[in-house]
Amino acid sequence: MNALRMKNFYWSVALVSLVVGVILSVQFRMTNDMQHNETIRRTQELADQVAQLKKEHDVLQPQLIRMREQLEDLSTGPLASQIKAEMELATIFSGITKLSGSGVEVTLKDSNASQKPTDNPNWDIIHAEDILRVVNEIKAAGAEAIAINGQRLVATTEISCSGPAIRINKNALVPPFVITAIGNPETMEGALKMRGGVAEFLQFFGIQISVKKLEQLTIPAYSGSIKSDYLIEAVADTSLAR
Amino acid sequence: MNRTFFFSITFATIVLGVMLGFQFRTTSASNDVGPRDREQELALEKKNLVEDLYKLQMEISELSTKLDQAGIGQREADEALERELAKIRRFAGLSSVSGPGVELVVQPGQAGLSTVNAPRDITDEHLLKMVNELYSAGSEAIAINGQRIAATSEIRLAGKHINVNGTPLSPPYHIIAIGNASVLKSRLELKDGLVDILSEFGISVEIQEKDEVAIPAFTGGLFFDYAKPVKEN
Repeated sequence: MNALRMKNFYWSVALVSLVVGVILSVQFRMTNDMQHNETIRRTQELADQVAQLKKEHDVLQPQLIRMREQLEDLSTGPLASQIKAEMELATIFSGITKLSGSGVEVTLKDSNASQKPTDNPNWDIIHAEDILRVVNEIKAAGAEAIAINGQRLVATTEISCSGPAIRINKNALVPPFVITAIGNPETMEGALKMRGGVAEFLQFFGIQISVKKLEQLTIPAYSGSIKSDYLIEAVADTSLAR
Repeated sequence: MNRTFFFSITFATIVLGVMLGFQFRTTSASNDVGPRDREQELALEKKNLVEDLYKLQMEISELSTKLDQAGIGQREADEALERELAKIRRFAGLSSVSGPGVELVVQPGQAGLSTVNAPRDITDEHLLKMVNELYSAGSEAIAINGQRIAATSEIRLAGKHINVNGTPLSPPYHIIAIGNASVLKSRLELKDGLVDILSEFGISVEIQEKDEVAIPAFTGGLFFDYAKPVKEN
C-alpha cells in the first residue's frame, strides 16, 4: 500500500518535472524569438530605406543624362561637331548610354537536378567565377557592350560573391543570371559553345546554360556615378578645376 | 535512499523536458541564419547607395556649373562640353591617368621555396581574378603590362601567352591599379585571400603601395559595328 502510494508520487513528480523542463525551454525559445523578430524588423526597415534610395537614384541618373544632352545642344562653336563625334564614341565605350543591336542572351541557372548525398553541393551553385568566365569569353569574341541582369558592365565593374548573391556594380543580384551582349551573334555563340569551351565546362558542374541569338536587344546605361576619387589626368587638360 | 532516487528522477526528467523543448525549437527554426545575413547584405547595399547618390549629386552640380558656363557663349560652351568629354574618357579608360595605388608583380614562385607547390604557369583565370578583386576593392583604373583594362577588355589564354586587348603578354605580369593603396593591398593580402590562394598554386605576388602610379590609355580602336545608341525619352 505504502509502496504503491510512493510509486504514484514518483510518477506525478516525474510528470511535473517534465512539464517544467518543456516550459523552461519554450520560455527560452520565446525570448530568442523576440530577438529574431527584432532582426526581421531591422531588416525590413533597411529594405525600405534601400528601396527609397534606389528611387532617388532612378530620379538623379536620368537627370544627369538630360543635363549632358543639354550641354551637347548648347555646344555650337567651331569645334562642336568634332567634340560631339568623340563624345558619341566615348559614351558608347564607357557604358553611360543605352544601346541596341544584335547579340546574344546567355542564361545561367543553378542545377535543378536532385542531389545525391555524395555530390558536392558547391558544384551546382553559380559562382562569381563562372560569370567572370562567361563574360571574359564573350569579350574575347568581340562583344561591344555587356549587361548582367540589367547591370551594365563598365571598366571598373566587379563580379564578386556576396553570400548567396552575386555583387555586380555594388548591386546584389540573384539567379537566374541573364547576360546580354551586343556584337556578332554567331561569333559569340560559337565562342561559348565550342568544344571544351565555357558552356561545356559549366554543364559538367551541373549549371544550366542556354545561349540565344537575338536580332535586336537593348542594353541599359550604367546607373552609377562616374566620378573618380583618385584619378588625375596625366596629360595637360583643358579643365580649369578637377 | 528514497530521497536520492527521488532527486535523480526529478533531475533526469527536467533534463529530458529541456531536451524535448530544444529539439522542437531547432526543427522549427532551422533557417535562423537567413535574416541576419540579409541584414548585413542590406546594410552594405545601403552604404553603397548613399555613397553613389552623393557622387551623382556632385556630378549634377558640376554639370549645372558647366551648363551655366555654356550659356555665356559659343567658345565657353565648346569648352564646357570638352571638359565633360574628358571626364567620360577618363572613366572609360581612354586617357592616361595617374594617382595613388599599388604595383603588383605576379610571377611563377621561386623553385625550391616550397616542396609541395612547384611553380605553375600563370593562367588567364589568375589574372582575371586579380583584376576583379582589385576592382571589387575600389580600383578606379588598372593596367597589365601596359594594357589598360577597359569595359570590353578580355584576359585570355592564347597558346603560351595571355592576350589582353588582343595583345599577347608574358610573365612577369606587372599589374598597376589606382585607388586607395592600403585598402587595395590589404584586400589582396587577407588571410585566405587571393595572394594566399595563388601562393598555394606556386605563384608569387609582390605588392607595393605607391603615392603615385601612372596608367596608360586604352589604345585599341573604337569601332562599333553592332551597337547603336538609344536616346532616352
